[in-house]
Amino acid sequence: MNANEIACGSPLALALDDYPVPPLSAGFADRVLAAAETRVAPLPELRRSGSGRGWRLGRRIAIGAACFGALATAAAAMGVLERIDIAMPSPHKVWASLTGTHTPVAAAATAVPVVRQPDTAAAAIAPVVIDGPIDTPEELGEAFRRIDEVRQGRIEARRALTGQRIDRAIERRRTAGLPVPTPEQEARLRQQIDEAQALRVQHADDRMAARRAELERKIENGEALTREDFAGERSADPAVAERRARLKELRAMTPQQRRETFRNLPAAQPGVKRRVSSSASGARARSRSSPAASAAAGLKN
Amino acid sequence: MNAIGEPSTTALPNAGSGGDAALAARLAARDPGALREAIGLHAAMLNRIAYRLTGDAHEAEDIVQEACLRLWDQAPKIAARHPIGSQAAATLRLGGWLNRVVTNLSIDRLRRARRLSGGEVPDSEDDAPLADALIEADQRNCSARALIAALPERQRAAIVLTYYEELPNATAAEALGMNIKAFESLLLRARTALRTAFAAHAEGGTS
Repeated sequence: MNANEIACGSPLALALDDYPVPPLSAGFADRVLAAAETRVAPLPELRRSGSGRGWRLGRRIAIGAACFGALATAAAAMGVLERIDIAMPSPHKVWASLTGTHTPVAAAATAVPVVRQPDTAAAAIAPVVIDGPIDTPEELGEAFRRIDEVRQGRIEARRALTGQRIDRAIERRRTAGLPVPTPEQEARLRQQIDEAQALRVQHADDRMAARRAELERKIENGEALTREDFAGERSADPAVAERRARLKELRAMTPQQRRETFRNLPAAQPGVKRRVSSSASGARARSRSSPAASAAAGLKN
Repeated sequence: MNAIGEPSTTALPNAGSGGDAALAARLAARDPGALREAIGLHAAMLNRIAYRLTGDAHEAEDIVQEACLRLWDQAPKIAARHPIGSQAAATLRLGGWLNRVVTNLSIDRLRRARRLSGGEVPDSEDDAPLADALIEADQRNCSARALIAALPERQRAAIVLTYYEELPNATAAEALGMNIKAFESLLLRARTALRTAFAAHAEGGTS
């Protein structure tokens, strides 16, 4: 027996026991039965019971996540995230990070600059579509416009590169403690370079004007222009043709095969290697210095 | 037998053997005889609990009636949860369910009466047989009633269920909707308060 329990026979127990309960009144059961007969039926259960709590909670979480996503998307679209220094990767970068591949978006954008839509308002209003060989003055004008666009971009890039090279050279000399040109000397140097460049461009313009006049005459005569008209006629010299074929063959090889080919060249032809390499570098130089030809090549490809 | 010589109804003849499930099934089938049988089995104990908690015979009878009607209303649901022959049917105890309902109803009415009026619930005058008998009865039981009425509602219920009705602590805790540890703590506080009040009452009587 617990010490805290009320012991039977104790004064407290005697006092508590003296508490009789009056019995229920007579006919209590009959009254309850009569009340049960006339009792209104209980209300139906609420549809939402305790068992559905988990789903309700899950639904609230889903709604909250959807609202957060919508707000985040709206903020990203309005540029709010960039304003508070949160970097937003582009879809291309995200896709590349997921798949581990790099999409050739940038390469494609730089590889076909000639097929971009014209920027001028007039061209935007009535864009000229070159379909097949160039045989109308409009198509020829569009081809010239694209060529000029690419050429102008290259001239600008070349000028910027020249300026950077001058700056780097001066900086190197300054770092090495060598005397650097004064601002007057530097300005004179840049002016000389610009003049040389302008002269070069002028010569190229003259050549291009003559060539374009020839092409326009062809169009007026009803001839259709092909890729070769823009790239220029190839030399009929058999040595040049042989060199071109050899270059083509070398380009198709792997670097290892190419090295092996160079090593296996006969000793009696010591100038071949030099000739081949010089012709390769010459071809690269020609392709660099002839924007019209490459632009036309890209245009017709 | 309990402390005051009344028969204990905690161990009912059909409790725990599936008899309550059968009774619930009959109640669910809207058998008036089943309700009469349930009243006969449990009403006396329910009346004692309600009376000792509220201190009013009419209030106690109302509470018992309300509990019996709730049993009538809830019988279909109870019978569905405890189908006859199942393992759940063997554990069904309508007496425990009714104890819980009566205890909660009594505590609710006590709290409501305390909110509505500061005084005690008035005694009934209809059942008083004679004035001298009433005075004598009051003198006899005023001490116990005052002691019980001085306790807070839940402590009062703990004393009524365990001392007067001799229910096990676990059953009484279930009737109050508490776990066993919390109920034992409540019961300890109730007994301590009862002893303190009785000692104070005794000192007041002797001085």
